[in-house]
Amino acid sequence: MITASHHTKERSPPVMRDYLSYSQLNTYRSCPLRYYFRYIEQIPERTVSSALVFGTAIHAALEYWFEEQLAGNSRPDFDLLLAAYQQEWQQRDLGGIEFGKKENLDSLTQLAERVLKTFIESEFATVEGQILGVEEELRDSIIDGCPDLLARLDLIVETDEAVVITDFKTSRSRWNQQQAEQAGEQLLLYSELVKELVPGKPLQLEFLVITKTKQPNLERYSVPVSQSRIDRVRTMVERVWDGINSGLFYPAPSPMSCGSCPFQEPCRKWTG
Amino acid sequence: MMPLKLNIGSSKKIGEPNYGSKGASVNLELELDSSLLQSPGQLQGQIQSLFQQARDAVEAELFGRESTPGMTQNGHGQNGSSTNGNGQYRSSNGRRATNSQVKAIYAISKGQQIDLPSLLRQQYHVDRPEELSLKEASRLIDELKAEPVSNGGRQ
Repeated sequence: MITASHHTKERSPPVMRDYLSYSQLNTYRSCPLRYYFRYIEQIPERTVSSALVFGTAIHAALEYWFEEQLAGNSRPDFDLLLAAYQQEWQQRDLGGIEFGKKENLDSLTQLAERVLKTFIESEFATVEGQILGVEEELRDSIIDGCPDLLARLDLIVETDEAVVITDFKTSRSRWNQQQAEQAGEQLLLYSELVKELVPGKPLQLEFLVITKTKQPNLERYSVPVSQSRIDRVRTMVERVWDGINSGLFYPAPSPMSCGSCPFQEPCRKWTG
Repeated sequence: MMPLKLNIGSSKKIGEPNYGSKGASVNLELELDSSLLQSPGQLQGQIQSLFQQARDAVEAELFGRESTPGMTQNGHGQNGSSTNGNGQYRSSNGRRATNSQVKAIYAISKGQQIDLPSLLRQQYHVDRPEELSLKEASRLIDELKAEPVSNGGRQ
């Protein structure tokens, strides 16, 4: 006897994710069990690091800056930029933010003031070319058998020579070219989404790294684009998805990340 | 002899515009003669056949009855347009305008009190900025910016 149940539904089992982001891929690679708790079990995270909120708030300010340029408006002044930064903080529950040592809301606001002033005075505040996207969300299927890739691109600019994809990073210290190339796989993956945006125009990938130091520093790092590196990143995505799809979740203890992991308790209780 | 019970399931989820998604799952339960255990090849054949039927039923549910004419399973259309699953379509004249461009066009035209639908129909033969190609959107933004623009600013 054959019995069949057949139904359509709005939500599939959690493991059937219909998109992947670079953040998800990175989480899985750093600790598959952390990925499981965050994206499959969806255990609420009680705290969020101040560094994450700070970075998001600086992004919001830069987003506002470049959106105003795209819309042909005059440059926002410093106060408006700072207001965009503060708006991001106002949406947060301060009690849920984990501040670092010698760090509080005021000290971070002062840091943001220094960062934003440095940005406004820098060459990076002026875009050479036509802005095509600011915090632009793109989603497409780039690898057969894997869910769509979902990416949020900080800035897309078309110049006479290329389409320039810029990702903003806030960092405790200055980067070097090697770091940029290591981090570049994120942009290489994004390039797969953008390559058809302006057919025939080469892509230029770069990071704009903002240091959170007493005297903030802004530097641009280019990420070399090569097909072999793109292929490598694509293979990484396939392997990670294979792991996720086959339910391969295990703890990957690390002194660097376990201390700040929001899932320490369920991790200790996990038995496989 | 106790019957052999076989449970086969297949499910799939696909993305739809604006973060939407739809999924379908099919589960088949089958009782077999346990003597099949003595014939692994035959048993494997039964299992594979059932999996194929379950997968076909899921595909039919997701892409068959509810599919849009002209659209294929991967979302790519056959009439010069396609979707990337995020509601961003490509047209025969190139990639559609980005969300940022669309937002900017609305903002500029509102600031300048321009009758956007009329302008779009006259110049680009479309009703909404979302239907412009990326290049057309860039050109329109340039044109709008060339008009006298009131000072922007966050309200």
